[in-house]
Amino acid sequence: MTRKSRFVSALALTGLVGCIVPAALAAETITVASWGGSYQEAQSKAFFKPTADALGITIKEDTTNGLDDVRLQVTGNAVKWDLVELGADECARGTKEGLFEKLDYGQIDKSGIDPNLVHDDWIGITYYSVILIYNTDVFGKNGPKTWADFWNVEKFPGRRALGGAFATETLTVAAIADGVPLDKVYPLDIDRALKSVDKIRSHVDAWWTSGAQAMQLVKDGEVDMASIWNGRASTLKDQGAPVSYSYDQGVLTADCMVIPKGAKNKDAAMKALAMFLKPEIQANLPLYIANGPVNEKAFDTGKIPADKIPGINSAPENVKKQVLLDPAFWGDHLVEAQEKFDNLIQQ
Amino acid sequence: MSARPAEFVSHGLNADALRADARRESLGLLGLCSPGLVLVGIIIVLPIGWLFWLSLFDENGQLSGANYARFVEQASYIRTFITTFEVAFLVTGLCVLIGYPLAYMLSQLPRRAASVCLIFVVLPFWTSVLVRTYAWLVILQRKGLVNTWLIDLGLISQPLPLAHNFAGVIIGMTHIMLPFLVLPLYASMKTIDADYLCAAMNLGAPPTAAFWQVFFPLSLPGLAAGVVIVFILCLGFFVTPALMGGGKVVMWAMRMEQTTGLYSNWGAGSALGVVLLAVTLGLLGLFRWLLGARATSVWGAR
Amino acid sequence: MSTARSAPPINIRGIAKRFGSVPVLSGLDLDVASGEFLTLLGPSGSGKTTLLMILAGFVRANAGSIDIGGEEVITKPPHKRNIGMVFQNYALFPHMNVFHNIAFPLKQRRTSAAETAERVEKVLDLVQLQGLADRRVDQLSGGQRQRVALARAIVFEPRIVLMDEPLSALDKGLREHMQIELRSLHRRLGMTTVYVTHDQREAITMSDRIAVMNKGRIEQLDRPETLYARPRTRFVAGFIGESNFIPVESRDGSVWYAGKKVHTASPSPSSGRHWLVVRPERVRLAADAGLGANANMLHATVRDIVYQGDSFICYANLADGQQIALRDYCRSDVLARLPVAGQPVQLRVDAEDAILVADET
Repeated sequence: MTRKSRFVSALALTGLVGCIVPAALAAETITVASWGGSYQEAQSKAFFKPTADALGITIKEDTTNGLDDVRLQVTGNAVKWDLVELGADECARGTKEGLFEKLDYGQIDKSGIDPNLVHDDWIGITYYSVILIYNTDVFGKNGPKTWADFWNVEKFPGRRALGGAFATETLTVAAIADGVPLDKVYPLDIDRALKSVDKIRSHVDAWWTSGAQAMQLVKDGEVDMASIWNGRASTLKDQGAPVSYSYDQGVLTADCMVIPKGAKNKDAAMKALAMFLKPEIQANLPLYIANGPVNEKAFDTGKIPADKIPGINSAPENVKKQVLLDPAFWGDHLVEAQEKFDNLIQQ
Repeated sequence: MSARPAEFVSHGLNADALRADARRESLGLLGLCSPGLVLVGIIIVLPIGWLFWLSLFDENGQLSGANYARFVEQASYIRTFITTFEVAFLVTGLCVLIGYPLAYMLSQLPRRAASVCLIFVVLPFWTSVLVRTYAWLVILQRKGLVNTWLIDLGLISQPLPLAHNFAGVIIGMTHIMLPFLVLPLYASMKTIDADYLCAAMNLGAPPTAAFWQVFFPLSLPGLAAGVVIVFILCLGFFVTPALMGGGKVVMWAMRMEQTTGLYSNWGAGSALGVVLLAVTLGLLGLFRWLLGARATSVWGAR
Repeated sequence: MSTARSAPPINIRGIAKRFGSVPVLSGLDLDVASGEFLTLLGPSGSGKTTLLMILAGFVRANAGSIDIGGEEVITKPPHKRNIGMVFQNYALFPHMNVFHNIAFPLKQRRTSAAETAERVEKVLDLVQLQGLADRRVDQLSGGQRQRVALARAIVFEPRIVLMDEPLSALDKGLREHMQIELRSLHRRLGMTTVYVTHDQREAITMSDRIAVMNKGRIEQLDRPETLYARPRTRFVAGFIGESNFIPVESRDGSVWYAGKKVHTASPSPSSGRHWLVVRPERVRLAADAGLGANANMLHATVRDIVYQGDSFICYANLADGQQIALRDYCRSDVLARLPVAGQPVQLRVDAEDAILVADET
């Protein structure tokens, strides 16, 4: 579980918001909102519990639907959360709207974290990757390995699925498919990427809108190849599905954490966030889920078994094969690009 | 009867007191209605007014028609609009074709059997739309039940494209909408006195003629109510097209969600809402006109 | 209208009907003469409506035969029986106006538009609804609806007309008026008519013959005056008109009450307990008339006198406490000698007014 489904979680949200206990029962209680599901369960074990134990505070959990929730709370002057996890592009957009508190880098040690993900009022927290997966029952070992292969419908005939709700990821993939070298992908030529999407558009059998849907499409043989989040891909493999994937040409994407403006327990939240980012705590995450630590020093702690490291998307060896989705770029261009992208695929 | 002299009416015994009493009664009734009126004002009229207001401003807060202009300028909006109505018309039509015989059968069953069958009609309401839609996915997809059976039986060699496309959306939505048509229709069929059909047959109408000339016209108010409910629910439907459409069948409500959720463009989203509301009201008016006031008791006409 | 030309008789034989395990009709026979107005009279649950529904074809009998003018119709569907019917609630089609309601049976028979218009016009005249053809059904009064229902049932000149309590929804004045109209209409058109009612007064007013039904059987089938004057069972006597029931005993070919021999016009009954049926208006205060040869005299004490405008009812107790009612008109000579409560009186019942029926219980 890397990222929520924007489409379906709206249904769940109404139910979950009702369960929130009034904030600040004790002075040292903070509320952290994340994406829910197995991802948040892993986070809870890896980050929240050790932090709560170490700091002697209580960490309450809630789930969020993303930037809209934060915006509503902040503009409505009813901030319930002290720490919120968002997609990095959302953090970049929220910054421009002034929705977050400034972070105190006196307390937070930012070393080991990609500078692209360190900002005045937000910081990266975990990584997921968008990767190419294919069905080995269909292609054997010689399936599409690169996005150019995915785009090559003559050489690799078959049914295809791409992410339809997240233009950032699919446009990045489309640029790579069109031949842009990994180190030249950003700043992204949006028009070129859109043209590339236009080429594959009529061959896409499904535009998935949630991680669960992408997984189901691949698992049930609805499609023969797809873009997919690495967490879902590894779950599929663990379940014994006939699939193959690698981090080659993956799109390394970060989630970030922020303190919403007006958070009631800002100081405690700052301490907790500093703790989450410490290498020893970060190193807990791969023990529970296939998302990578944002702090590369986590790989030096020795907590992560050596045989697991090659399977982690943010392991230094794997980072080299991938392109980092540039949050700052998308903070400026997301709305425009998303709308153009939607217009294109919905024609 | 000749009209009474005016002064008799206005200056009769206790005339003023009686008039005051009538006025007091009206005010009292208005007072009883006021909580409802206030609630309607706050939760319906105000938000819709606000929606309309928002739709008049572009992203920079300037008064403009840009939010509406984009519907004409962008092919995807027109496509979405057409898709929405295609889906709504098709689903409503299928619901009528499937639901009418079903409701008719239920209305003719003995009471006990009918209530058992009604439970099966209502049962899906107890399951989330999400779950039912996923269930359809399992049934309809390439390696789903339907295709597997058809291939095993040798009826087809290639799986039929039933999910992640237009057909999937129609099948899934028809299933979800069916009870909304069957329930009002059943209720209205139940009120049709069996004596009408006896009378028709007694007067020489064979069963089919009795059905078409007597039963069917009398069931029209219920059918109209069901059709209107289904059609309007279809126009704003979201979950099933999002899951069953494979991202290729985009309906108006999905577009709204993207516009407000992803682009955070409330003006454009509001404009979408205003257009949908206006078209829906226009269609309701058209329905009413087509079916005649008698057949459309859903609007409170007699 | 020329229904009379071919009004057929109806011969019903051995009709049996059960609802589940409950028998409603068991082996019922009935002959309705050509052009006759026959009424099925009985309390609710007596099977009269079921019999009518079987005649119309809406209810399938378990056994039996219905012969209409020499043709067996028991297995014919209702729309092929060509029987007109007036329903209790009229069953006028609410989505059609008066014209289309009445034209409905003609439309089913593919009658031309011109002829349809003409016949509807004619039948509207007949039921005195001229000019109401365009009215909606819900704009009509109860009496008007009744007439429309009747018009619809006869416009296609059916051989037989069935009526299921057609007047029960009307108020008293209108009901009596319609009784006379229905009767005269029947006389003019002469169709064979089977009429169902639970109102004995209505049955007596309208019918050529009345079949009194009880518990799925016909207790007595006779002309109204015979039924009234000579009821054959206690049920019939009790259901038609008011009656005094006096328990009597029969032995040695004579009938005895309180140690006295009773004169009756009925043939000598078998020995045992019987009921003496006496209509209240046939009981007289003895002072009113001289002793007849075949008169029975009864000693009684007046309990109460109820004044009813045109008439009065005198309730009295016989010596053994048996109650008896007496009715007479308020003529001055009668009123002049009216007894008061508590006064002992002699009551006279002529032999021809004393009817003997079997004790069924």
